[in-house]
Amino acid sequence: MSTANVTLFDDEFLKKLEYLNIISKRLFAGQLRAERRTRKRGTGLEFADYRAYVAGDDFRHLDWKAYLRLNRLILKLFEEEEDLPIYFFVDSSQSMSYGNPSKLDYARRVCAALCYIGLANLDRVNVISFANGIKSEMPPQRGKGRIFKIFRFLMEITPGGETHARASFKTYCTETRRRGLAVVISDMFDGNGFESALDILRHVRHDIFVIHIASHEEIDPMLRGELQLVDSENNVSREITITPSLLAAYRAEFNKYCEAIESYCGKYQLGYARTVTDFPFEELVLKVFRQGRFLK
Amino acid sequence: MTFLALTAAQAGLLAATTVAIIIGLYLLKLRHRRVLISSSILWRRVLDERQSHSLWEKLRRIISIVIAATIALLIALSLARPEIESLTGKNERIVIVLDTSPTMNTNTSDGKTRWQHAAERAKSLLDSGGPTTEFRVLDTAEVTASAFTTDRNEVRKLIDTMSSKSAEPHFPRVDGRAAQVYFISDGVAIHSTPSFVKRISVFEPANNVGITAFEIRSVPSTPLGYEAYLEIQNFGQPTEAGLTLSGPGGQRIIKTVRLETEQTYKDVFDLSQFAEGGIRATVQAKDDAFPMDDVAFAYLPIKRKTRTLLVTKGNRYLETALKLDNYVELSVTEPASYRESPNIDTYIFDKFAPNAPPARPALIFGTPSAPWLKPVAGEIQKPEITTWSEDHPIMQYVSVHDVAIERAARIDADNLTVVAASKQTPLIVVSEKPKWVMLTFSLEASDFAFHVGFPVFIENVLAWFNRDQLALKRSPGIVDVPLANAQVQTIDGKTVPSEQQLGKTIFLANEPGLFAALRGDTRVHVAVNLANPTFSDVNRSIFKTDRTAARQQFWLRRELWFYMLLAAVVLISIEWFTYHRRITL
Repeated sequence: MSTANVTLFDDEFLKKLEYLNIISKRLFAGQLRAERRTRKRGTGLEFADYRAYVAGDDFRHLDWKAYLRLNRLILKLFEEEEDLPIYFFVDSSQSMSYGNPSKLDYARRVCAALCYIGLANLDRVNVISFANGIKSEMPPQRGKGRIFKIFRFLMEITPGGETHARASFKTYCTETRRRGLAVVISDMFDGNGFESALDILRHVRHDIFVIHIASHEEIDPMLRGELQLVDSENNVSREITITPSLLAAYRAEFNKYCEAIESYCGKYQLGYARTVTDFPFEELVLKVFRQGRFLK
Repeated sequence: MTFLALTAAQAGLLAATTVAIIIGLYLLKLRHRRVLISSSILWRRVLDERQSHSLWEKLRRIISIVIAATIALLIALSLARPEIESLTGKNERIVIVLDTSPTMNTNTSDGKTRWQHAAERAKSLLDSGGPTTEFRVLDTAEVTASAFTTDRNEVRKLIDTMSSKSAEPHFPRVDGRAAQVYFISDGVAIHSTPSFVKRISVFEPANNVGITAFEIRSVPSTPLGYEAYLEIQNFGQPTEAGLTLSGPGGQRIIKTVRLETEQTYKDVFDLSQFAEGGIRATVQAKDDAFPMDDVAFAYLPIKRKTRTLLVTKGNRYLETALKLDNYVELSVTEPASYRESPNIDTYIFDKFAPNAPPARPALIFGTPSAPWLKPVAGEIQKPEITTWSEDHPIMQYVSVHDVAIERAARIDADNLTVVAASKQTPLIVVSEKPKWVMLTFSLEASDFAFHVGFPVFIENVLAWFNRDQLALKRSPGIVDVPLANAQVQTIDGKTVPSEQQLGKTIFLANEPGLFAALRGDTRVHVAVNLANPTFSDVNRSIFKTDRTAARQQFWLRRELWFYMLLAAVVLISIEWFTYHRRITL
């Protein structure tokens, strides 16, 4: 592991993960580990419903007490208990390398933290790096012991390319995948619009959580004078003269952009959290938990 | 537009070069600082929206170039000193001649004087000029003569320091081809002006009764008596005038007379009851607008006979002349019998001089040899009197230009005052201390004794030696007294600042008054009176304001370059402000 990697996921970070794990359990006390209710009816312990017996049903699930009272064979239905697939879509486009610390580093930490908690809850954690397509994908992992593998995967993600989330998500979702929780960690700078990309995830009925990462330089750019602005993703440059009114217009546009994303998420009941890169990642993780998308 | 510092072609070239440089500098593209941003999505939206909706965004660069070029043009062209006639007037020269004659002190109906009106008109002339107009101010007393200047404040201050003078006015010499000449006057004292002069009148009719003559003179019938001659004239509406003559001992003569317009009143007053000293004559009339001629002064001396010793071997002309003089008590003796006596006021030596100078003043004819007199250095045959000093008291009313002299001695006149001289030698010299007068020719060698001025000369000499004399008559203004190194005092004993010039004492008397010039035992009285009908006739104005004297007023008070630089500074400030806020580029 390189020096940067050591800094990113050092002992301090690991301690914070443990802390988050404990906090998450306290927040969602009483919920069983790896017992996530699904809509499937199956062999779980949690009672779900009754239905009339039909030939072929398992006799073990007949409710004999009900038979004695009603003289009818009624089958007890139990919720299927299965592990939750969590898909972490980490934006690794060139724009994510922007900021200090970079948005990608911040995304790595947030992703690692959420992965750790997911693994600790015996969920199936998938990490996908995307930009203008699926750049790399990590096989599903389960169990806390896999966290270092995830660390390595995250560290191997390199920023580059333009963002094309729709194409990336479409590619990923066309493969046979189980429905699960899709966590999109991105700066949301997509020239084609992020709404259409999220639509793809929505249409395959993923539970979606958007973590929108921004840097201070994007929120309040400290730019002055005659500048040639160069887009880090496509190297397109534009000469402008920064004026106070222009900066004000940019800030307004940024807020409008964020509000549009938030509004979209709200409209379709998607989880949404916006953060800046100097906001403590553990705070963000807790904020995510508080939204109730994790550890149902 | 014209340019004072450059030709039109040079100015055009300067302007074109300046604009070319500015546009060139703008075209040299400023290297923009390269800044990497995460994504240009938002910037693109902002810029596209702004550029598509704002005409200002499209014009911003052009406006910046225009502002910069305008600033540079304003600075560059200001160096060429541009001038727009309609804004700043022509580049012209104006001479303002202010009449400072005494009549300008006449009061007007609004309580001001004609002089104050003239000063106001002069200042309004200053305001009418363009920024490049050069002004020069002159007066008719030849006291003020400024150089041409564009500094109006300086000219204004100069006008404020000027005042009406009592001196005889003269229209100054002015070149009418090089400048416009304005003459601001009441048109009373100066009667003619050059044709190119534009006249501005401050005349307003006024009432005035003034003293036009006042003097003290001997009474022919009473050798030691004096009388005062007073003449007043009414130059306004018919009125009653009160006359007052007052003496130093409280003596007073008061009289009231009725005067019709232009009527002159003359009277003689007996002063036998008046004590020695200054006599003041005043005239009072209702609504008198010109106070300067309402008072006049004279000096009343006290006469007594001069005890005179004539030392001669025999000179009938001289002896006869002295005997006929009513003011002389004559004794005659021969040189051998000469003894100095305390009972003698004046000695007259005819071709004789004692070895020691007498204690009393002496009149010496011929050039006798004596240690205290100048030695004779030769003889001049038939010298002609070429110069003589009419100002000296002994030469008053004495004409010597046609005196024929057979021969005269040549002497060195160092430390002596020469009151008459030929080209070769002094002819009449005066010693102040000891006091004596010497003629370098004898009466027998000239026809001086046959001239009408001879008795007057004798009388003047004796008067200068011993007597108080009548006051010298002078007009207000710069007064000269033929007495060198004298101290001048008013009749009240106050010292008046004076200067020495060519053996005379000069002082300034703006008002009528009686002054005394003192040096040792010598006292000369000077009566300064206006007593001039030319000035007292304050209603005799000969011109009105010329139609061509009206001038256009210009809005701009300074040269155009000043406003151009001011505009450049304002534009630079605006540009600085807008540039730092990135409103302009």
